[in-house]
Amino acid sequence: MNYIELCREAMKSATAAGAQEVEALIISNQSISVEIERAEIKTCVDVKDVGMAVRTITHGKIGFAYTNMLEKREINKTAIQAANASKASLTDKNWRHLPESKGYPTVKQTYDERITKFTPDEAVIMCQKMMTSATEFDKRVLPAFGGTQVSTEKTVCLNSHGVEVEDKGTFFINVLGTMARSEAQVSPMCVEFKATRTYAPEPEWVGSEAARLAIESINIGKAEAGKFPVLLDPFALQSILRFTLIPSIRGDIVFRGRSILKDKIGKRIAGKNLTIYDNGILPGGLRSGKTDMEGVPRQKTPVLEDGLLQGFLYDNYWARLEGKESTGNANRGGGGLQLPPYGTLPSINPTNMMIKTGTARDDELIQEVKNGYYVRNVQGAHQSNPETGEFSVALAPAWRILKGEIVHAVKGAMIVGNVYNLIKKISALGKAARQLDMFVAPKVIITELDVVSK
Amino acid sequence: MKDVLHSTLEKITQLGASYAEIRAQKNRNTILSVKDGQVESVTLANETGTGIRVLAKGAWGFSTTNSLEQVALEKSLHNAFKMANAAGKSVREPVKLAQVKSVEDKDFIAVKKDPKDIDISVKIDNLLKINKSCFDFDKKIKSVTINYADLFTQQTLATTEGTFIEQLKMFVWNYCWVTGKSNGIMASARDEIGAHGYELYDYEPSEKIAERVSKKVIQQLEAKTPKSGSHPAIIGTNIVGVLAHEALGHICEADLTLSGSALMGKTGEKIASNNVTIYDSALIPEGFGSLKYDDEGVPGQRTQLIENGILVGLMHNRETAAKMNVPPTGNARAQDFRVTPLIRMRNTCFEKGNYSFDELLEDIKFGYYLEAFRGGQANLDGTFTVGVQSAFEIKNGKLGQPVRNVGIAGNTLQTLQQVDACGKDFGLEMGRCGKGQMMFESSGGPPVRVKNILIGGA
Repeated sequence: MNYIELCREAMKSATAAGAQEVEALIISNQSISVEIERAEIKTCVDVKDVGMAVRTITHGKIGFAYTNMLEKREINKTAIQAANASKASLTDKNWRHLPESKGYPTVKQTYDERITKFTPDEAVIMCQKMMTSATEFDKRVLPAFGGTQVSTEKTVCLNSHGVEVEDKGTFFINVLGTMARSEAQVSPMCVEFKATRTYAPEPEWVGSEAARLAIESINIGKAEAGKFPVLLDPFALQSILRFTLIPSIRGDIVFRGRSILKDKIGKRIAGKNLTIYDNGILPGGLRSGKTDMEGVPRQKTPVLEDGLLQGFLYDNYWARLEGKESTGNANRGGGGLQLPPYGTLPSINPTNMMIKTGTARDDELIQEVKNGYYVRNVQGAHQSNPETGEFSVALAPAWRILKGEIVHAVKGAMIVGNVYNLIKKISALGKAARQLDMFVAPKVIITELDVVSK
Repeated sequence: MKDVLHSTLEKITQLGASYAEIRAQKNRNTILSVKDGQVESVTLANETGTGIRVLAKGAWGFSTTNSLEQVALEKSLHNAFKMANAAGKSVREPVKLAQVKSVEDKDFIAVKKDPKDIDISVKIDNLLKINKSCFDFDKKIKSVTINYADLFTQQTLATTEGTFIEQLKMFVWNYCWVTGKSNGIMASARDEIGAHGYELYDYEPSEKIAERVSKKVIQQLEAKTPKSGSHPAIIGTNIVGVLAHEALGHICEADLTLSGSALMGKTGEKIASNNVTIYDSALIPEGFGSLKYDDEGVPGQRTQLIENGILVGLMHNRETAAKMNVPPTGNARAQDFRVTPLIRMRNTCFEKGNYSFDELLEDIKFGYYLEAFRGGQANLDGTFTVGVQSAFEIKNGKLGQPVRNVGIAGNTLQTLQQVDACGKDFGLEMGRCGKGQMMFESSGGPPVRVKNILIGGA
């Protein structure tokens, strides 16, 4: 039986067991990864994980079951288990209905046959190139961890309202974390990577960039405390935004009264130079696809336009509750227990959050800061307060800018602030953007941030 | 089962592997979620799977299958062997494993109340009670999320060295996130508890959980933001374990130490004040990270990390132990069959001192008492951060007003030198750690006073 037939089988069993609405979903992921540890390639991993999730609704009671055993007998058992789970549950007065069938977009550059044929031997060579580039950059660099991973993901989603969709995607990543030591100093872990949906590796670039960051992090000087302009790299910017702004634009958080942005649609919440779209159909986007994880087409959703709040992100459940349409932002898996993608109900998650770029080159951004800091990444952003937007994070790695030039690295400093002030204080945006997980963002200058230091 | 695993392993030895292990699991999970009084879902799950790790040509190969049938296992084993050969092509220093005695044993964790004997309606009802008690606690409470999970694992570990260990593991986990609002200010608090059985709720009744977490929310609504900068602080029993975990634990994981962490080459050196003694133990009965054997079959034990300020040990798997010529410590743990074991903490604690809480307070003119944590993170260079969800000012030796949104940051080698007194109370907190894989662990200790720590407040 193929995946669609297995899903049909599950739907039949759940319906026979009394379920009024049924959704069956199969997600498979096949990956090969070669891992670098302490300048050695020591592990090669081949993992195929596939599982089915069945969601059933009976009189507004939601049941859910999953399994990674895709034999017909187990599928039937799981479907019945889901139906039984909904019987054991209580009526959710917020439940409306599962998504309905719709047309799907064509999304380019999300699947590349070459990645599916990539071999472990090729991955080993890729890792060697990364490490060689790092150590040739400077002998004091240790390629501490990293590797090459290729994966192919397939999603099949069917439901009793006629949704029937299949999607597949490929992913390629080269990543290297390096450390450098001088007699007096140890650098923080400095990570560089290149992740793509199609085959376009640049192992030498990843290796030498990771090495450059580590070497530039061991020339440490004083971190002056006070209010300074700060140039945030996309790494730092995304770390801060994902734990502060992102929760507040999630439809569920808004509905439940936990978002500070609840009544702010159409209002100014950021500077005029900030425009953000969630683009689930971005060609080659790391989170692009034709369908979300409950069969709703992915789409482009405006979030902020010229500083004015445009809307929130929804999955089917929370959109229906607000009388809206889902924005195709249903995601699965993860959560506090890091369950597999077929192991959870949908939750709202951004796809590719695209921050509109500005016009400044990197050197112009540094010059504009004059006297401040360049922060590549921050540590501890997940401890931010998602309700108020307040954050206090350590800088690692980061550099002092004096007279418009980077002069030395800093250690042990923090920046503290509130994201809703931060997004009003962007004075310049870089003209180049890069994708890091859920953000496609340029470097930005924040005119004033509190830097805390001893 | 035993025969299948043994005959599969025999074949790999014939192929020329120097070591192989099969980790077979059957998992049964129940997961419940209640949001603002609505039962969002009842999740039931069954998983079966096997992770096979092979050491050949001095490198590791790993492969998984979701079957326990011999044919599938053999195919997966061959695949792992192929992977090891690929990785082995470039190895300069072949992986060696520290010698351990092979073990045949069964360890079935003592579960007083098996969650499978508790009806789902009873579990739901309990969560709804927590939900109601939170909303009843104060009108300012606006939103309550409660997540519950009981996770049961039956694991068999078989190795080419003759080890055959069957273990039953059980985790019951309860997580609350509560938000309050007052005069336009919003605040939230989290509460995470766990046990190895449903008896969790015998000593953590719904009202107690609700009161504990709701109280923190209300307190934060009335709190002011702290003065950023370096201050003396008392790190409470809820946070001190996170400090042990983030500030010291991670860089004492030998894979990270060898990767160049701030503690590389520092064993035997004084890295903390005399008041600091920290250990990682697998043997605390209620600990969420306790285990009789780790996922390489090494017996769980207590591992001393710092003794009166001196770095005396690291946490090892068999590979790092061989590399550093020390015995393995039983810290190799894998989230499930899908992933390889990594060096992970178990229950990481500061040792008690002999100060009463009042004695810790009395010498502080101005500082902070850090009561409960939100999360933490470590970097290999020793930079650590701990987010604090509830804290109080200390003024002239007395607890003062609550403060909110505090973050602390520091560097291990400096901060641990600043510990000038440890209390005589002791707390143990259940938690999760994410080093690529989610792992249950505990951390704890007494209230600890530091002369100076960097406080950041938004």
